[in-house]
This record gives sequence, structure tokens and C-alpha cells, in this order.
Amino acid sequence: MVVGALVIVGALALPWLNPGYRALSFAITTCITAIVLYGMAIPFGQAGIMSLGYAGLMGFGAYTAAILSRDLGMNMWQAMPFSAVVAALFAGLFGLPSLRISGHHFAITTYVMCELLRIALTNGGAFTGAATGLDLPAIGTVLGVNMDKLGNAYLLVAVFMLASVLATYFISSSKYGRTLRSIRENEQLARSVGINTNMHKVGAFMLSGLFAGVGGDLQAYNFRHISPDLYGGAVSLYFALMVMLGGPRTLFGPLAGAFIVTFLPEVMKIDPVDSRIAYGVALIAVIMLLPGGIIAVVERSYRWLLAAARGARRDASRPDAGASRV
Amino acid sequence: MAVLEIIGVRKQFGGVVALAGVDVTIKSDEILGIIGPNGSGKTTLFNAVCGVYRPDAGRVRWNGADITGKPAFEIGRMGIGRTFQQAMSFPSLSVRENIQIAMEHGSHRRDGATRRWSSAEELLQFVGLEEFADESANAMPFGNLRRLGVAVALGGRPSQLLLDEPAAGLNEAESAELVQLFRRVHQLGVGVCVIDHHVQMMAELCRHLIVLHFGNKIADGPTETVVRDAKVIEVYLGTQS
Repeated sequence: MVVGALVIVGALALPWLNPGYRALSFAITTCITAIVLYGMAIPFGQAGIMSLGYAGLMGFGAYTAAILSRDLGMNMWQAMPFSAVVAALFAGLFGLPSLRISGHHFAITTYVMCELLRIALTNGGAFTGAATGLDLPAIGTVLGVNMDKLGNAYLLVAVFMLASVLATYFISSSKYGRTLRSIRENEQLARSVGINTNMHKVGAFMLSGLFAGVGGDLQAYNFRHISPDLYGGAVSLYFALMVMLGGPRTLFGPLAGAFIVTFLPEVMKIDPVDSRIAYGVALIAVIMLLPGGIIAVVERSYRWLLAAARGARRDASRPDAGASRV
Repeated sequence: MAVLEIIGVRKQFGGVVALAGVDVTIKSDEILGIIGPNGSGKTTLFNAVCGVYRPDAGRVRWNGADITGKPAFEIGRMGIGRTFQQAMSFPSLSVRENIQIAMEHGSHRRDGATRRWSSAEELLQFVGLEEFADESANAMPFGNLRRLGVAVALGGRPSQLLLDEPAAGLNEAESAELVQLFRRVHQLGVGVCVIDHHVQMMAELCRHLIVLHFGNKIADGPTETVVRDAKVIEVYLGTQS
């Protein structure tokens, strides 16, 4: 509760701290990425199905937005539902192989689908803008607020990011979340008590696709230029790294992962090649030392500290507590 | 009374005939035991009923309706609950959540015999796991895990329960407690069918026994007759030559 309030206040207060242009654009990237990661965490964290296709799904959202803007003159808001639905449909398609294969095999399949999308976009001629990509108009004004100002654009994506945190909270604490977790925990047992696991797997992917589609729409309008390289398998790998680093089963894990991977190279002044090596090392370290991600470890230590504090207070309130310490 | 009819069910894995056309009728007003040595086809029989495998031949009928080859989740929703040989649970979830998942799904029937527990707490009390409600399933001792498996199956409000070696790996005292639990389940009007090779326990629990051997039914009748059957004794103890 306290942590949640802090994150909300912190996220919304950022523009007033004069963070500078560069930090603000990193913050925008962090928020947009986090939206996609919250989607990814539904099948990955809840249902236990790891996939490497999320950059591609985001790409479906972004290209849908760009093409609808170019051909039909739609703005960001009008395109958003279409981006979400297109990405959700393709997410269902990406998820279909999970009914037959699992684990690494499934992850590799989705990686390949993501790469296929990148190749298709690169060779899509005038329709997809080929390797150059597509341009988009500015967001314009939202409720009378000019989104050309970076601080305002940040607030807009931050609101969407917080909405996806909230959505994740409701999903994971609902009956639906429990149903997905039962698939992660023991698919055969889940089926025996009447859960249509195949339907729920594809459903979880489609739900996550909605997040990726909205993220893609927001990204397209914030970057104002999209190209196939943004949506390839390599980017998907980064997304997976972020989710695992932060913790796919925790409420703030995806946000923490997006934040760390976006800001760390900047803060520590590591060049792009070195940072890739650092990510590789970091990922191995997290998998081996902090299974469940950084946030899961923070939560566990917090709970441990609480219990320890409670224990100490109980000791101190005992009449003989002072004596025993002498 | 619910009736599960297995008619001439056959299942083959490559060259191995696991079930060579078996007829079994399971009525919910009795506790039926199915015994047989390892590899006699007991678990395959459950799996063929519960939609894990599709039988190669034969039919499965539930209250007169043909359910042969239906997917496992539909069988679960029709009111046939089962447990597994390997003491399955949703390991990293709490015991309460394990039960909640089953109660939120399972059979859609809410009438008479199937409406028994209105909350996970009541069911936990019924199986005697209430003090473990907030622990994660994999933190419990093995005997409790077996109980939890039964509780999860019961959470789905079954009319018929199929128990696959529920006492495997348990000591005498734990097995005796489970036998008591199954009797109480049966008193609620739920059909109980148990697979095991623990003959003594089965003789105590079941009035009706079926014996499988290499995928064939070699005996079917009242327990006292079956345990004296020459063929059964031969299968279990071997013949003196």
C-alpha cells in the first residue's frame, strides 16, 4: 500500500523536479516499455508461459496506429482501440503454439515469429515504409493540455503506466488470476478440476496483447517515427530481461525492470556494447541468485524485517527482557 | 444415484496393451476398489475415463450420456473428480488458494448432494487441514499433501470421486485416517472408487472389488469372494508348482 502510493506520487511528480530533457525522454521510454511488460507478465508471471514476442506485438500496435493515421487520418485516441485489438489478435496467434509446446521451445517459436514480423515490415514496401519506417503526426492537445511539451507527454504515458499497474493488481487478486496461476502451478490438476487450460492460455496472451497494442500506439505517437528495428527479436529479448530482472510475479517488478534497464547505462555511463555484456551478466546473476526478481527479494526482505521488528518489540515488552541481556 | 459405465475400453501404447477391453460399472452408492499389480492398467483406466487419453475402442458413459474422449476439463465439470498417483497440488500457492481454485471451477451442479461446502474453510475443516490454510502447499508434509489432493478433487463438487493410489507412501496411521475420510465422503452421497494395491486397506474400505491383470479384468464381485478367488491369489502370490 505504502509502496504503491510512493510509486504513484513519485511517477506523477517527476516533471516538477526539473529532470531535464534527456531524463524525461528516458522516463517516457520507461513508462511505455513498462506497459508492454505488464502485459507480458500476465502469461509469464501468472500463467507461467515465457514468450519472446512482445516487441513484435508492440509493433503490431505501433504500425496499426501509423497506418491508420496515414490512410484514415486517425489520431492517437482513435487508433488506440484498433492497435489494442490488432495486437491482441496476433498475441492469440503467437500464443497458439503454447498449447502443444512449452518452455524454451515455445519461447524460441515466439522469438522466430517476432523476427518474421521484422522481416515482413522491412519488406513491406510503401505499406509499411520498408526499412525506413513510418512517420506520425504529433499527439496535439489532450483535454486542453499541449502534448508537445515533454513533461505533459510524460504525464500522459505515466497515467497509462499506472493504469496497467492497477489492472495487473486487479487481475492477480481476482478469480481469473488464480485460474491462470493454477495453469502455471499444475496444468494437469487444473484441467481435472474443470479449467479449460487451452482457452485460458490463449486468453491470457490476448489480454497481454491489449497492453502491448496500447504501448505500441503510445510509442508511435511519442517517437513520431517507427521502423522495423524497434520490433525485432532482440528487443523482445530485452523485454524478457527486464521482466525477469524486476520479477514477473510481483506488482512492481515490470516497472522496476524497465526502469533499471532504461536508466542504468545512462546513469553509470556505460557504452551500448558494454551494457549488453552487463545485462547478460546481470540476467545470469538474477536467475541464479535472485529467482523471482529484484522486487521479490525486496518484498521478502521487507517482510523479514517487519517480522524481526515485531519479534524485537515482543522481546522488549517481556518483563525479564532486560535481565536476560545483562 | 450416479453411474459411470466403462464398456469394453481398450488402450494400447505402441506394442503394450494397457487395457484389453475392460468393462467396469461404478455406482455412486458403493465404495468400489480396483486392485491389481503394477502395470495392470489401473491408472490407464482412470486416465481413459478422465480425458487424459482417448480410448482406442469402447465407450465411457456417465449417467447414460456418452462421454468417451471428452477433454479432461469437461469431465471435471460433469462431476467426476479425481486424484493423481503423484500427490498433485498447486505447489507454490497456499492451501486455501488450492481449494479456492477447485471450488471456483469444477462441477456446475449446485443441487442436493453436490452443494456441501460453502467456503474453502469448511472444506479444509472437513479434510482436517484448517491449520495449514495459509501455508504453501509444498511446505506441508507428504501425508497432508495427499489429503490436499483429495480436498482439491472434492472442491470441484464431484458426484463421483476416482482416487488413484491415495495411500501410496503413507504409513499405517495415515492410511487409516484416509480410510475414515473416504467413508465420510461416501456418507455424503459421493461415489468413491479407489485404486490401490494395498490389499488389506482395500479389503477394509471396499465391499466391492475389481481385479485387473495385464489390462484384463480377472475378478469382479463382493470383497470376501474376490480375495479368495484362485486367479487373484495366483496373480498376487504366485502359484506353488
